[in-house]
Amino acid sequence: MNTMHSNKTMGGSGFADLLGNGQTLKQYRDAIIARTKDTGYYNGLEKLELRDSDPIGYEKLFSKLRGGVVHARETAKKIAASPIVEQEGELCFTLYNAAGDCVLTSTGIIIHVGTMGAAIKYMIENDWERNPGINPGDMFTTNDCAIGNVHPCDIATIVPIFWEGRLIGWVGGVTHVIDTGAVTPGSMSTGQVQRFGDGYMITCRKTGINDEPLRDWLHESQRSVRTPKYWILDERTRIAGCHMIRDLVEEVIRADGIEAYEKFIFEVIEEGRRGLMNRIKAMTLPGKYRKVSFVDVPYKHPDVQVSSAFAKLDSIMHSPCEMTIRNDGSWKLDFEGASRWGWHTFNAHQVAFTSGIWVMMCQTLVPTQRINDGAFFATDFRLPKGTWCNPDDRRTGHAYAWHFLVSGWAALWRGLGQAYFSRGYLEEVNAGNANTSNWLQGGGINQDGEIHAVNSFEASSCGTGACAVKDGLNHAAAIWNPEGDMGDIEIWEMAEPLLYLGRNVKTNSGGYGKYRGGCGFETLRMVWNAQDWTMFFMGNGFMNSDWGMMGGYPSATGYRFEAHKTGLKERIAIGDSLPLGGDFDPTHPDYERHLDATARVKRDKQCITTEDCYDNYDLYLNYLRGGPGFGDPIDRDPKAVEADLNQKFLLPEYARKVYGAVFTQDDDGKFVVDLDKTKARRAEIRKERLARAVPTRQWMKEERERIVNKHAATQVKHMFATSFGLSEKFTKEFKDFWSLPADWTLTEEELDVPTYGSKHRMDLSLLPDVKTVVQVEE
Amino acid sequence: MVRRPGSGAEAEKKQPNVEETVGHQDIPVQVMGIDAGGTMTDTFFVRADGRFVVGKAQSNPGDESLAIYNSSVDALAHWRREVDDVYPELVTCVYSGTAMLNRILMRKGLNVGLICNKGFEQLHSMGRALQSYLGYALEDRIHLNTHRYDEPLVPVSRTRGVTERTDVQGKVVIPLREDEVRQAVRDLVALESQAIVICLLQSHKNASSEQHARDIVKDELEAMGVSLPVFASVDYYPSRKESHRMNTTILEAYGAEPSRQTLKKVSDRFKKHGGKFDLRVMATHGGTISWKAKELARTIVSGPIGGVIGSKLLGEALGDENIACSDIGGTSFDVALITKGSFAIKSDPDMARLVLSLPLVAMDSVGAGAGSFVRLDPYSKSIKLGPDSAGYRVGTCWADSGLDTVSVSDCHVVLGYLNPNNFLGGAIKLDVERARRHIKEQIADPLGLSVEDAAAGVIELLDLTLSEYLRANISAKGYNPADFTCFSYGGAGPVHTYGYTEGVGFKDVVVPAWAAGFSAFGCACADFEYRYDKSVDLGLPQFAGDDQKAAACATLQEAWGDLAVKVIDEFVNNGFKPEDVLLIPGYKMQYMGQLNDLEITSPVTTAATAADWDKIVEAFETTYGRVYASSARSPELGFSITGAILRGTVATQKPVLPEDPDAGPVPPESARLGSRPFYRHKRWVDATVWKMEALKAGNHIVGPAIIESDATTFVVPDGFETTIDKHRLFHLKEVK
Repeated sequence: MNTMHSNKTMGGSGFADLLGNGQTLKQYRDAIIARTKDTGYYNGLEKLELRDSDPIGYEKLFSKLRGGVVHARETAKKIAASPIVEQEGELCFTLYNAAGDCVLTSTGIIIHVGTMGAAIKYMIENDWERNPGINPGDMFTTNDCAIGNVHPCDIATIVPIFWEGRLIGWVGGVTHVIDTGAVTPGSMSTGQVQRFGDGYMITCRKTGINDEPLRDWLHESQRSVRTPKYWILDERTRIAGCHMIRDLVEEVIRADGIEAYEKFIFEVIEEGRRGLMNRIKAMTLPGKYRKVSFVDVPYKHPDVQVSSAFAKLDSIMHSPCEMTIRNDGSWKLDFEGASRWGWHTFNAHQVAFTSGIWVMMCQTLVPTQRINDGAFFATDFRLPKGTWCNPDDRRTGHAYAWHFLVSGWAALWRGLGQAYFSRGYLEEVNAGNANTSNWLQGGGINQDGEIHAVNSFEASSCGTGACAVKDGLNHAAAIWNPEGDMGDIEIWEMAEPLLYLGRNVKTNSGGYGKYRGGCGFETLRMVWNAQDWTMFFMGNGFMNSDWGMMGGYPSATGYRFEAHKTGLKERIAIGDSLPLGGDFDPTHPDYERHLDATARVKRDKQCITTEDCYDNYDLYLNYLRGGPGFGDPIDRDPKAVEADLNQKFLLPEYARKVYGAVFTQDDDGKFVVDLDKTKARRAEIRKERLARAVPTRQWMKEERERIVNKHAATQVKHMFATSFGLSEKFTKEFKDFWSLPADWTLTEEELDVPTYGSKHRMDLSLLPDVKTVVQVEE
Repeated sequence: MVRRPGSGAEAEKKQPNVEETVGHQDIPVQVMGIDAGGTMTDTFFVRADGRFVVGKAQSNPGDESLAIYNSSVDALAHWRREVDDVYPELVTCVYSGTAMLNRILMRKGLNVGLICNKGFEQLHSMGRALQSYLGYALEDRIHLNTHRYDEPLVPVSRTRGVTERTDVQGKVVIPLREDEVRQAVRDLVALESQAIVICLLQSHKNASSEQHARDIVKDELEAMGVSLPVFASVDYYPSRKESHRMNTTILEAYGAEPSRQTLKKVSDRFKKHGGKFDLRVMATHGGTISWKAKELARTIVSGPIGGVIGSKLLGEALGDENIACSDIGGTSFDVALITKGSFAIKSDPDMARLVLSLPLVAMDSVGAGAGSFVRLDPYSKSIKLGPDSAGYRVGTCWADSGLDTVSVSDCHVVLGYLNPNNFLGGAIKLDVERARRHIKEQIADPLGLSVEDAAAGVIELLDLTLSEYLRANISAKGYNPADFTCFSYGGAGPVHTYGYTEGVGFKDVVVPAWAAGFSAFGCACADFEYRYDKSVDLGLPQFAGDDQKAAACATLQEAWGDLAVKVIDEFVNNGFKPEDVLLIPGYKMQYMGQLNDLEITSPVTTAATAADWDKIVEAFETTYGRVYASSARSPELGFSITGAILRGTVATQKPVLPEDPDAGPVPPESARLGSRPFYRHKRWVDATVWKMEALKAGNHIVGPAIIESDATTFVVPDGFETTIDKHRLFHLKEVK
């Protein structure tokens, strides 16, 4: 165990010599970076001495440390009260070397391979060792999105690990808390448009000494959020896990020696780098893969009530992605042409991108326990400064960075799918991923009379993208959590004053295709036993963020349903009909037939809203999206269409229109697809398609006319204008592709929309006494 | 085949001077254990003097009772006794088997009709998302495209919703609409349902709507003149988490009732041959229950639990109250802890890829075992063990196996741990050279190691994985290995015992001579015990008034009272008197707002006063501090009790342990089979080979030695020594 070391600094001046080698942490880290850069191997490790001379001993070290880290997570999560941590497993523990590079990480939100590392690096670059000092028994807390956190609700506790008075590494634990004290309740709230409304923000603050949290921290932090009980148990979860892992490291060193341990924690990163390259080499075909994705930012709507006029703007996120796979298995991910960050909470720090991406990659490309910063070192990221994925202004909001990340990475997933397909690994193909929403959030006074916030994590179980040999899985996973789980209703009803009136597969939500995307699901909630209650919606509505592959359709977009003044109290009392179960066919709404005629219903595509009031007996539909499809729908096995109809996964109208199925329904309601008639109908569809088709060149000519005339929705023009504004390269490519006149331009100014922030920006790095850490090509 | 601690079939044939076991017809046979597996049905009989025999017969899925009878004949022949003589002598008989589990896995149960809340008809067929990766190895759990759902036990087409909702606090928000229940029954009967399950949301909190629905269902069935079993979840598993409760109640209807018919057949056959005992079945909570018990779904898993129960009994005999039970089989390594004489219970486990609401003896498993395949990761060249295994095909060392992937057994054969000529008593001849060749190609050459060092490395890595797992499980519960005795059993256990206990620092390491049949033995050791659980919601602040505390106690006591009625009813059904039943109350407690509770055996037998409450809290806080570290204690949040537990037991006959006279430290020369080369720590040594059955109580053996029997091999490498005690338990020690 750690004891206080009196020779260390406590906020004074002077040199701490934490490493016992006369180097500052920064000198130490700079040397590692230099050796990596010079040789191409992490820390210059062309040879893996320990691993090559004693492969068994090396594996034993790996096994001990990894086993211990996973075990700590399993044990510690039981302390938490938040279903987000305990049921959904939204916590993660990671071991770092002294320079803040990730050695290994637990299961869970693998997003945090590098986020806490970025915080450690920030402490190193900004001389934390002198002030506030780094000592055995210290704890640091951080959630600052400007230095690498994904969103403010991921709170991290970081504990230094010392051996014989020498700093040898760090352990970090992160939990996704239920509320961060943002302008509106919930962990990923809308409503704020800047960092200053994003909630309680902590920058690598020393929050504990001698293994004990400081009282000022405990008092301040608990009153800075709406849900202090969840907050404090989450913190205890993180601390307990970090201390378990610190003990584990000390035990391993006692058994195997400090020399072996220190060799291991560097070699394992280089091994991780080579591991990723070997995977890429084995699974994909080298070359350039270019994909793009979009998602809507509908802030102009009256139900988005924000404090700043300049944020009232409808726009679209633009995320073009060029994936270059080289012959040696290294690769480059280039997001040149991405749109600018904006006045909303969907901006992402570069580290949120470079670290978070591994939670997706480990579901498909590298499903292995050996994920660490080695994967980062095998990857070149190009995230141009000023884009939504690398903002150049210190005012940006990040609470739901996932809105853009989930959408942007759908393009990557398709790119990888194509690469696997080209190589023949059909089983590994995913047509993309669901837009993991809706996020049901809100707060007020709950059923226990306490100030409360809610944040349903049913979104962890969206439909998955179709594979090239089978359908996607219904209500199963999220791009940020392969181990999805919607949890039990009886647990969510403890956490939320919302009575479930239905939970069922969402009909028609999976993208059509030869193999369809997995369907999402929906839950209907009635506000119950709450006081002064608010809720809001968060998700995609007007646009698809996933596209489908090889003729497969995207999944259905979102929509919102909410109802007030429902008359349900009376209807229940008199035994009248009630809205129960699914919103089977939104085009022919049924819920409204079971509400009083006076009910105020909102049913539209506006899937981002801000806090609105709900009374008891009001309704809210939480619709979790499906995944995209693969292949031409008219190649789908008619029997599979029949099964989908009978399980209510598909509306009959679309079975006809999209799948070309011809079917009958018997007296019991059972659908039977006629194979011969379906075959004939599909042949007709093929002919109809040919009749409708125009040559590509002709189509492009027409499109070009529209571009030249700027005949497009303002949102589309705004999106492109921000991309053009940031990238000459992208502008040139766009103009070359469409053969546009040399003087053709499209700027934000000409669009008659708010342009606040389009010209004048100030980056965090411009603050005095701040050294930011840059880990990507900008 | 005769098997008893100390004399197997081989030993007796070769060494007639070993104590003769036939001719003791006057010593009654008291206990019978049954292990009805998929391929073989084992029976296990124990005499009043602790000697036992094992019988084997081909399993008969059509009529299990016949296989049990045949197996009994086989066993008792060794004592030259007849079934018709022995069955009437038996005091107790415990059944364990895989029939019900297989019925579930193969989806061969009854056509169940399900009634749930309207609007939630797809709940069961959707399943919880986590069921799409339950039972997966770590790497497949994150590998999305491997996930899949199993067929639901009840299709949506045989599900009907009825309008009703009760809230989380137990208040009825939407009253049950009776006519919908009646219509649902008519529909489900028309759909040829063979049983009806009712599970409504929050019924664990307030059972009234569900019970009302149940009564209407019964009434409607009667009116229709139809006789169908009806299962309301609150009558069976009234615990929070609807997916667990619904699955378990469906399991009861789907699989348990057919299993009850099987058990009835078995019981009838016993009666036909003069059996007077009441057949009991091993249950997930670690006790045995009558085949007539209401909740038979809890017998879905029984075999692995047997080992834990057997360890507990042996621990009592040895005076060890803290035991680490370790069972290594071909594919997995199971660990359970007995602390202060009791094992932990998991209340919402998963089995057969379903989340369930059953009390299950807490066991943790690692998917690596003695038959695991060994491969190099093609990307990182790291050694990967499992998750698949060679199973009965042993490894590439068995030329007829059809395998060409190296298994852990191949490594053992190459290093001299296993006797290639005596595998399964010589039933299979193993080809050492074949194994060497494959290890060289697949493991040794790519790693740049010799065949021996590669094979030894694999063994060391597996043993390390197991020992770290064992150690982590002990420290996760807040204990130190020095307080624990480790019991090692399972067919392959004794080969690995030294490896996974070395350096952990156990107080003692015990290998029973009958390690291979230990689970069957354990089942026969189990108490006749019913355990019932009930959700309660009690919340009190840290500093509550005395009247609040007393009121909380009253609520808890009331729940125990309800459970006592259920427990005692079960025993009365089996002919016991209420006063014969020993009741052991317990509770589940947590800091208010937490989602995980800890199960505590109550420090008070009845709860009434503020002082009782304080004791209840103190017992919880002590346990909490140990499990999660004291700094994680959060008394300022207040305390809540989430569940009441009541266990009830009656006295039963248990197997008697052998008591052999001390024959001194020197093993008889007749036990020495010779020696063979054995590789460990980068060198070959000559290990003495001993015949396990011929060793006598008190014998002391110093490694390197290998102690062989037909069913298991006990490895004692250099640096270790072992002594066999009067109960025929080997104690393994590291020589310092």
